[in-house]
Amino acid sequence: MAREKVVEHYDVVIIGGGPAGLSAAIYAGRARLKTLLLEKSLIGGLATYTNEIANYPGFPDAPKGEAITNLMKEQAKNMGVDFKLTAVSSVTLEGEEKIVETFRNKYISKVIIIATGGRSRTTGAEREEEFLFDKGISFCATCDAAANTDKHVVVIGSGDAAIEEGMFLAKFARQITVSVMHDEGIMDCNEIAKQAALAHPKMKFVWNSVVKRFEGDDYLKTVVLKNIKTGEEIPVDCDNCFEFIGYLPNSELFETQLPLTKHKYITVNEKKETGIEGVFAIGDVTDKWLKQIATAVGDGAIAGTAAERYIAEKEIFDEKIMQKEKTGLIYVYNAIDPESRNFLTEIEAIEKSNCGSLVVNRIDTYKSNGLALKLGLEKLPAAVITKEGKITEKIYDLSTALISSKL
Amino acid sequence: MKEVMLDCYGEACPIPLVKAQNSIKELEVGDMLIVQIDHSCAMKNVPEWARKEGYNVEVEEVDDGEWEVIIEKTK
Repeated sequence: MAREKVVEHYDVVIIGGGPAGLSAAIYAGRARLKTLLLEKSLIGGLATYTNEIANYPGFPDAPKGEAITNLMKEQAKNMGVDFKLTAVSSVTLEGEEKIVETFRNKYISKVIIIATGGRSRTTGAEREEEFLFDKGISFCATCDAAANTDKHVVVIGSGDAAIEEGMFLAKFARQITVSVMHDEGIMDCNEIAKQAALAHPKMKFVWNSVVKRFEGDDYLKTVVLKNIKTGEEIPVDCDNCFEFIGYLPNSELFETQLPLTKHKYITVNEKKETGIEGVFAIGDVTDKWLKQIATAVGDGAIAGTAAERYIAEKEIFDEKIMQKEKTGLIYVYNAIDPESRNFLTEIEAIEKSNCGSLVVNRIDTYKSNGLALKLGLEKLPAAVITKEGKITEKIYDLSTALISSKL
Repeated sequence: MKEVMLDCYGEACPIPLVKAQNSIKELEVGDMLIVQIDHSCAMKNVPEWARKEGYNVEVEEVDDGEWEVIIEKTK
């Protein structure tokens, strides 16, 4: 039996409680926006799967990931951010009122920040789950390379990530064994990386192979590869295994509403805007070059700040520019254009001659053209006339007589 | 519709998950199972398992580092 969902209103709803979402929450909360963060399991995201974080600035003692993200959570709570631990079942991104639904609630928000992250693709081999993350199977060379000094490491995959990360690991490890599913000499990575890897003294290749099974007691000891042509099993004893067979962004919820790259990442601009007004995306779910806590918190800072600006600009637009009390005249121009500047005196004359019955707004697009875009103008300068808060006329051939006749 | 509390305080993975899996078998469709946990590892696998099963899941953080995973048996 379907229960009535409880409806709540927010300024900002953040989906995902990893470092990116937490950072956005801190910035939005500090800007005094009513902010809600939704997380489906543990606050902290993928960072909580790491036992040592040695490269996040400000934490020289390499704490657990969870220790860092718990501090972020505490900081966001101090800023008045609400937290709710539940999965999002659907979103409606278009329109002024964005809707986020969970199984018991319906949240209506001015801004949505998507910070749903991603997950590494796994091989699906036997006993893989027992050794994931800090039990011998890793997905991040940047994170774990130094811990593999003088060790024997198995790398799965032959794409750009696998080979480039493998070369990086080779600076630390004693030996790298790379499992490649293709015939000898065929790799998915770029040609330069391939030549360098083939010539590298520490890199050994097992061609035509995939992972069959992982073995060990508490910690990974052996990766059993299988030759896909002969079926022969090849046990490789190692200290750690790195899987680089792709990364899956958690973008399924937004697939039909947002443009995604062919690998399903959300594309964003410098301000983390997605292309739908009031919807931002940050962190690992976006199409970005480096996925680290340090870059995720940067993304969050940008989106939190951009959300605040967006809401402020929208309020000015709705309450001042599109006011309902009087007839409105909005003059949109670029101050660096002299002719547009000159017409300001005409606008002033029109304002005076209507003695208080007309509300005049002047929008200079030199710094930000957000408001001009909202008005849907084809070119500048332009005069827009509103009655009872609705646009009745857009005038591009500016003359005092024409404007006055339309008021 | 009944509500069953499952006390897993002080228990580390995978005990809360195993206990939850066993308890839910005893419940009828529409019943709620509330798993009380205080090990963060269980926050990763208990909600994930329940959602994979297709149940409705919501988590309350009742105190710092203490959670109640509320699972509605939907089928």
